[in-house]
Amino acid sequence: MNDVFTRPPRPARNWALIIGAVTAVTLMTWWSGRGIGFSLTELACNLPGGSRLLVESWPPEFSYFPRLLAPLLETLQIAVVGTVIGGILAVPVAVLAARNLTPGFLVWFVDRNFMNILRTLPDLFWAMLFAAAVGFGPIAGALALTVFTIAVISKLWSESLEAINMGVPEAVRASGGSWLQMLQFGAIPQALPHYVSYALYAFELNVRASMILGLVGAGGIGMVLETQRSTFEYPRVTLIVLCVLVIVLIIEQVSESIRRRLI
Amino acid sequence: MIHEAAIRFERARVVYANGAVGLAGVDLSIAPGEFVVVVGSSGAGKSTLLRAVNGLTPLTAGSVAVHGQPVPRKEGRELRQLRAQVGMIFQDFRITRRLTVMTNVLVGRVAHVPGWRAMLNLWPEADREIAFRALERVGITDKAWVRAGDLSGGQQQRVGIARALAQEPAIILADEPVASLDPVTTHQIMRDLVRINQELGITTVVNLHFLDLARRYGQRIIGLRAGEVVYDGSASTVTQNDFRHIYGRDPDAGDVLDEDAAP
Repeated sequence: MNDVFTRPPRPARNWALIIGAVTAVTLMTWWSGRGIGFSLTELACNLPGGSRLLVESWPPEFSYFPRLLAPLLETLQIAVVGTVIGGILAVPVAVLAARNLTPGFLVWFVDRNFMNILRTLPDLFWAMLFAAAVGFGPIAGALALTVFTIAVISKLWSESLEAINMGVPEAVRASGGSWLQMLQFGAIPQALPHYVSYALYAFELNVRASMILGLVGAGGIGMVLETQRSTFEYPRVTLIVLCVLVIVLIIEQVSESIRRRLI
Repeated sequence: MIHEAAIRFERARVVYANGAVGLAGVDLSIAPGEFVVVVGSSGAGKSTLLRAVNGLTPLTAGSVAVHGQPVPRKEGRELRQLRAQVGMIFQDFRITRRLTVMTNVLVGRVAHVPGWRAMLNLWPEADREIAFRALERVGITDKAWVRAGDLSGGQQQRVGIARALAQEPAIILADEPVASLDPVTTHQIMRDLVRINQELGITTVVNLHFLDLARRYGQRIIGLRAGEVVYDGSASTVTQNDFRHIYGRDPDAGDVLDEDAAP
């Protein structure tokens, strides 16, 4: 009766599965590469062309920097406005999409699908849409980032809300609290650190995105980048990319240190 | 009937969605000011009995009334007004650890102040005074502005009791209030509940697991078994035989808190 001390034999590996999976991935890559005409030899032959671009882009034209200050500031302002407005609007969207907090199935269903639509359409699409609606410029960019922020925060935060302990919300209801009071005193305080964390994350994404949005005319540094690129001013393009890189790195460091303190 | 009962169950039944029977036809009357201890093995329906009183678990048949007023089966203003006069204390405290003790206690006032005041945290001075007096009664006034999560288990349960007291309730329901506490704290909390019952005349119903606690602190003991009341009598005359009947087996060391005290 020493069964509990018997060492069971190590289970055999599922070789069929491993070999099958590796083969499948290899075949899929080969087939896709052929489809888009991807060839390593051509890539190697064309590398000098790419390096010529790099050589032409160096060194960055630092004397151009003063004229970048205003567009860079505008980029940050677009990101701030988009993050704040989007962050506020994301609160009801996230709450109604959390299964444990939503007042009813219909509300949940409609809100979930609304969220999915926001998330499925890319930020560039929204930028073009708003540029067409309110004209080219930073307002269109801020509106596009508002939508993008709602999509990011509501999805992530509704999942945090679904993971809270429902004991406290029930205790608030047991004291005679309404649905809103249950949210305010029972549910939201538990998930508040997550909210701040996701809002900071959305801000990081927005600074990065506001560079791309300029490409379709939604204001900020991206518009300058697009103009300089189309006129082959590569040293200036390099300077712009460096500036954005530095700003994004600084924001990432700051928000990372805040987030680490929160959770 | 001379006095109106504080709580009256009439053929109360609760059948859960999964078919489990919570209450199997309970007839019970609890007089104002009584201190009642409910015992029974887990799954006997102790929690269901308490949660039916404030409508957290609606009855599926029969009725339960608080001071003559039937407990509504649907959420809404009527049920919230009823809950406002019934405080509840939980095994897992159910306080928001991130918020101050004061805010947690003020949650007991949500049904008594205008919604916008609670929403903006602009509690009337009178309600803050009530909250402070509730903290005085459980002896943790000095902790008013401390984060609730920084308190010990016993102190956290006192915050839970203070929140219930802040409701200025006619009834207090305590669902296994000492099950997560050590023996010394257990006795302190039980003495608090008895003292509050005596000083303020609040009708108190406590679910307990330990038989010696039931006998020591209860005035009246109600025994539940499979959703039915199988014992209802004075705590001073309850016998070993009665406990055997309630539990369907001989009580053992696991059913008492202090092992040297006979069950």
